[in-house]
Amino acid sequence: MDFDMKKPVPETQPWSEKFWEGTKQGKLLIQFCKDCSSKIFYPRKFCPECWSGNLDWIEASGKAKIHTFSTAYSMVEPKFMDELPYTIAYVDLEEGIRMMTRIVQCKPEEIKIGMDVEVVFHEREGFMLPYFRPVKK
Amino acid sequence: MSKGKIAIIGIGEVPTANRPERTHWDIIYDTCMEAIRDSGLHKNDIEGVISVNPMAQPKIAAEIAFGKLPEELGLKGCKDTVICNAGGASTSNCLRMAEQWITSGVAKAVIVQHVTLHSTIPLVDQINFFAKAGVDLQWEYPYGTTYNIIMGLIANRYMHDSGCTPQEMASVVTALRSWAARDPNSFFYGKDVPSVEKVLASDLLNTPLHKRESNVLGDGGCAMVVVSAKDAKKMKKPAAYKLGESVRYFSGTCVMRDFKKVQEGFRVTAKEALDQAGITKEDVSLWNVYIAYPLAHPIMAEALEVAPPGQGGKYFLQGRMSFGGDIPWSTIGDAPGRGHTGSGVSAATYVETARQLMGKAGERQVKGCRYVYQNTSGGSGFNNIATIWGKES
Repeated sequence: MDFDMKKPVPETQPWSEKFWEGTKQGKLLIQFCKDCSSKIFYPRKFCPECWSGNLDWIEASGKAKIHTFSTAYSMVEPKFMDELPYTIAYVDLEEGIRMMTRIVQCKPEEIKIGMDVEVVFHEREGFMLPYFRPVKK
Repeated sequence: MSKGKIAIIGIGEVPTANRPERTHWDIIYDTCMEAIRDSGLHKNDIEGVISVNPMAQPKIAAEIAFGKLPEELGLKGCKDTVICNAGGASTSNCLRMAEQWITSGVAKAVIVQHVTLHSTIPLVDQINFFAKAGVDLQWEYPYGTTYNIIMGLIANRYMHDSGCTPQEMASVVTALRSWAARDPNSFFYGKDVPSVEKVLASDLLNTPLHKRESNVLGDGGCAMVVVSAKDAKKMKKPAAYKLGESVRYFSGTCVMRDFKKVQEGFRVTAKEALDQAGITKEDVSLWNVYIAYPLAHPIMAEALEVAPPGQGGKYFLQGRMSFGGDIPWSTIGDAPGRGHTGSGVSAATYVETARQLMGKAGERQVKGCRYVYQNTSGGSGFNNIATIWGKES
């Protein structure tokens, strides 16, 4: 069977490119509305709160807590099979943003809801995906 | 949409099964002819044809979208036809459109139909379609998420917050399959109902989801004939009258969906639909919940205030939602019991709502079925549409 085994990269929009440029420099950027002070994730063309186009970026601390997670053992796309088991999580950044990510650099059974994690960047085809790992105590 | 304007007066359905020798048009003929015959109308009385979009089947979707169905079936009185796509919420929108056509005078009688043939979609195409549908291609897909994982994320958080146990979660499958085993249109008709132990002994796909807690894809189809409530009353035949409806949109991207907002949406849409129907939750004879995965049923049971907070899973484990229990619930077994027919599970659930109110549900018939709550939800859960249907207008 002819499966596409190429791992996907983010399908970007012009207004999200700055985010991905930031990750290449080791920065986790959050879009910021200069008119209503909203922190925006995911990045938009206009502020979803006030429709202002007066948007900027701030750098997040990279610290977060796991809101929820699920560790995959099978039944994922063939292109991801070689990475099993892996853990997908929603993490809440200190800045009040929730994003989907992977939890890495630990055993799946060590992962808990509420766990403190920090960003690490994972290279794929020229993109740096923000993954998270447990914060060492 | 206000109370009591339309009614379902005829239903038709084929068994859900992977039988690729049945073509799309085989199923369309069988379901539509059965529904029209059941309604007591003549084929040429059908003035509108509204179809649920078959997901990942572009050829039949295009044929239907470009108007072939009324011609193929010889519906000589047809004035218009359309196809509608809102994922699992498509059927609710088809019924809304039927209501608009009927109340505005476009059509007196409308047929709403769905067909899906998963068994004819090449596996590669199935995987490519379902891996990406409902998942954001920039912020979610590159991490390797799937529908199963999205459900795992929801279930793990719910279990953390509520104390719901894996046994309680697994018991939802037992409950849903207890109905499905008695449904001649189910993939699992006549099959053994898996015990909690058997569910938990199946392979772990992703935490906390076991193989028996996921869905089997199947082929299927169904149809409903809809007329005005006034006309249905005149016909003096068993019918299902739409009495109330409410909806909330949550988000298109899974990670943007706040779990608490979703639960509140389930609660408030039920309340608004019940208020519109002029009844209370105590009047509901059947909670016909469509939510695709068993893991979300305890959340829904609590949001609907059928079970107290934190007790949703316990209610399932106690057998209260199973066949023979005191809370009739998802009497086709939702997608895990029926077999997943894409957007068709919601269509099949509406047919079951009508079947129960018409008193035609056989062994699964809910005694004295007078009012049914039914919901649908689209995509990976972008909205929740709650409706109330009654035996009388």
